[in-house]
Amino acid sequence: MKNTTIFFVVLAMILTIGGFVFLSGKDRVTSNSVPNAGQFINGEIQKVVLSKEGFNYKDATAQAGRPIALSADKSVVGCLRSVVVNAEGKRYSKYLQTPEDILELPALSKGTYTFSCTMGMGYGKLNVK
Amino acid sequence: MSFKEFRKELKGGIRVEAELIKTVFYSLLTSFLVLGVLYLLRFRFIEGFMSNYGYFLFFAALGYGFIIPAVRQIRAYKEFPCMSGMMIGMTTGMIAGFLPGFLVASTNGMFVGSMFGVTLGMAFGIWNGKCCGVMGIMEGMMAGFMGGLMGAMTAFMLFNDHLIASMVVVSTISAVILFTLNYMIYKEMKLEERTNKEDYFWTFVITFLLITLTTWIMVLGPRSGVFG
Repeated sequence: MKNTTIFFVVLAMILTIGGFVFLSGKDRVTSNSVPNAGQFINGEIQKVVLSKEGFNYKDATAQAGRPIALSADKSVVGCLRSVVVNAEGKRYSKYLQTPEDILELPALSKGTYTFSCTMGMGYGKLNVK
Repeated sequence: MSFKEFRKELKGGIRVEAELIKTVFYSLLTSFLVLGVLYLLRFRFIEGFMSNYGYFLFFAALGYGFIIPAVRQIRAYKEFPCMSGMMIGMTTGMIAGFLPGFLVASTNGMFVGSMFGVTLGMAFGIWNGKCCGVMGIMEGMMAGFMGGLMGAMTAFMLFNDHLIASMVVVSTISAVILFTLNYMIYKEMKLEERTNKEDYFWTFVITFLLITLTTWIMVLGPRSGVFG
């Protein structure tokens, strides 16, 4: 087979398989997504919504002894949407792609917990009272 | 003038450049066969496979399809002058680090992506850079190290901002860079004789190993906490 023919075969192969992959993509997403787990018992949950202040997170407040559903509003952009919370010796992390996505945290005792984006670029404090 | 000659060689000359398009073809064929078989046997039963892994595996196959021909061309001449060798080590190390790092970080997170990218980039950088001695090896090591980390970091920072579209752009740019490397090697070595003649066995083997390893890491490998 001539090289020119092979070149067109390669092109056709890439377009066909690429087309199949892109058309089969269920949600045709433009970015990665992580499903919500949602394991809280109704009534116990407290919602904490993170927002941005400058290049960091605005400090957030939560009640002690109740599990926390942490989400981020639309002001939080870029890598700041990927949150890591280090609390009581454990590390909780999730990519909050949309404002509906939540990071589940257990009931925390009183204190101040620092959290950051997964790249360590932006920081914030979670004050548990 | 020499680009016209290069094009003529690509279309069907007697030098190693005439085998580049065939190498792309065999590499892509190997990757797509492996992925096709795995998809039919296992991956199609995984929910959301195409959205979560399909795009990235497709671009991994394309990426290896661009890198392997450059390796074949370099192996054909074996020894290069220092400047060319450094350029070869740097280009192959950077692309072989950046692309896999970018793709694996998109599915497994920054640590796994950067480690995979750095390992692959440095291995390719050293392997190809050694054609001119220690300078090429050093250049390959540095480029692989930086490319792997940069690729993973870029993917990680693009999670929420058109990751798939960026992947198309990144892959296109990498393909253009590697094609330019093919041309540069031809231009530098067109007066030299080929010293190593080989069939396509290693094209199949290297592609098979790379795509299998990438698939295994993406689908079954460790994942950072960010992916829940």
